[in-house]
Amino acid sequence: MPALFSRAWIWSWLATIVVFGLTLTLTGRNGAGGLAYAALAFGAFSVIVGLGQMLVITLGPGNVDLSIPAVMTLSGTLALKAMDAAPGTAFLGLAVALLAGLATGLANYILIAALRLPPIIATLAASLVYQSVAIWSNRGLRIKPPEALADFATGRSLGVPNVALVALVLSVAVWIVLERGAFGRWLLASGQNMRAARLAGMPVERVRATTYVTVALFAGLGGYLLASFSGGASLDMGQEYLLTSIAVVVIGGTSIAGGHSNVPGIWGGALFMFLVVSMLNSYGLGAGIRMVLTGLIIIGIVIAANGRRARR
Amino acid sequence: MKKLLLGAACVALSVAPAVADTASKKIALSNNYAGNSWRQAMLQSWKTVTDQAIKDKKIGQADAFTTSENQATEQAAQIQNMILQGYDAIVLDAASPTALNGAVKEACNAGIKVISFDGIVTAPCAWRVVVDFQKWGRDEVDYLAKRLPDGGNLLEVRGLAGTSIDKEISKGIHDEVQKYPKFKIVGSVHGNWAQDVAQKAVAGVLPSLPKIAGVVTQGGDGYGTAMAFKAAGRPEPIIIMGNREDELSWWKQEHAENGYTTMSASIAPGIATLAFWVAQQILDGKDVPKDVSVPFLTVTQDTLDNALKTTPKGSVANKNYTQADVQAILAKGK
Repeated sequence: MPALFSRAWIWSWLATIVVFGLTLTLTGRNGAGGLAYAALAFGAFSVIVGLGQMLVITLGPGNVDLSIPAVMTLSGTLALKAMDAAPGTAFLGLAVALLAGLATGLANYILIAALRLPPIIATLAASLVYQSVAIWSNRGLRIKPPEALADFATGRSLGVPNVALVALVLSVAVWIVLERGAFGRWLLASGQNMRAARLAGMPVERVRATTYVTVALFAGLGGYLLASFSGGASLDMGQEYLLTSIAVVVIGGTSIAGGHSNVPGIWGGALFMFLVVSMLNSYGLGAGIRMVLTGLIIIGIVIAANGRRARR
Repeated sequence: MKKLLLGAACVALSVAPAVADTASKKIALSNNYAGNSWRQAMLQSWKTVTDQAIKDKKIGQADAFTTSENQATEQAAQIQNMILQGYDAIVLDAASPTALNGAVKEACNAGIKVISFDGIVTAPCAWRVVVDFQKWGRDEVDYLAKRLPDGGNLLEVRGLAGTSIDKEISKGIHDEVQKYPKFKIVGSVHGNWAQDVAQKAVAGVLPSLPKIAGVVTQGGDGYGTAMAFKAAGRPEPIIIMGNREDELSWWKQEHAENGYTTMSASIAPGIATLAFWVAQQILDGKDVPKDVSVPFLTVTQDTLDNALKTTPKGSVANKNYTQADVQAILAKGK
């Protein structure tokens, strides 16, 4: 049991279970299935972008991608415009979304590496450009996704939301790369001490480039799925994922200083972020109190998760 | 005697502007946000109407400026630039009702007319094109009362927390519900006037709610609410819609399938063009009251087909105002 509590992700999961239980006291047992399903469906988007953000944050101090919302909006907008609700175009849309992710990821990395801009500045400035391209490309008109794609995005397999299954596959892939692959070792080593990693002969720059492209690809996929899920892309669809993507990483026990990542914690954090808002809504608390409580609870979990590591 | 004549001429001149030529006047639009379909439709309305007005020589110039970060400080700086650039009037959709008052006052002192709309400012020297948001909220409840004589549980989907518009609509709703004891608001979530946010918030709160008879909304959130009810396998309540094309077409489809009937209300993005003509009228020397009230745009079952026909796909039902419309509104207000 002590071994379990020393794991950084356990706190986000404990919090999730507590919040889930507290909400159930209102809904009764009948609501459990519905609430769990909704948490998995909406949490999936936070997981997808949170995984990308986790990789970037793992790169070490100062590394963070603030362009995630804009990349989501741009990919969703371009993909739905390319598909134009025509049947059989789901993969075309996916390709467009991923291409948008690839292009924005490369652009971010070039700004950071070639111009030596701090990642916070580079990605924030670039996101203004991406957002403007999204506005310019479709003027905020909501185009519906093709019906088959919408059915997939909102549908379920074996009782689990399809989007959650997509997020699960990605999570397993990221986990394998981090825990078993050479790339994962390089990434963690770079995050712990970039200079040491470079001197040890690791391809540090290639790792950074791959990471910034990966986060944008994940954001592109997230935007594509979210737009298909909610019946169309809108210009502010990515907005709330700026803070969410960082929050799920931090709550999940990934070190904000870099060098340590935690995939199971991302799920705990994502489910928690959805459930805590649902709980406070269900208890009928106003928006002001809700935000204050959400903030306090997040701080509490982060202290619990990171305090453990400090003492270890 | 000569002095007296000169004085008389001055008086004559200051009365004359009622027929003053506005063909050389310059109007600027200061807009705080462009990141959603409503604002995009608003900017397009502005362009359509002002381009025509320039062609018709009713105004010299009408430029639109949008701040990128939706910050009051940024918009205040923008207004100061407009003062330096010598605009005759500023039409303003403000980021804050109070934080821009300093900049607005500077503009007024420089002799510039400031006309705020949608996001209005409280500075006394500015004009306000206002929508009766409380009435919007009251009308929603009145409609539901008509449709649901037995009452029932209501879910409230609110807008962006902390904005005056959200507070006003919500106040109208809650005030009116007092009149109908058979209604009970059993849940309230913030949908931020966005379908995806509303969908998420409603899905999270639905498991804890009893049977819902009606949903009161603030526009841009009705379709997402409907999707959340559908995903939860719940019967569709009467959801008040908000004039977005996806909301209207969903309503039309449901009506064709099972006779689903509701109503829809929102402010038309073309309110910017109304503010534009108000500015033109003021520059023309007309006496315009500081508060100009405009009706919000309502769509009923009877007008649904027509509203859908005139609404571009993926946009929002709109109305571009003409000079004559505005003159009629101003005449009625007197």
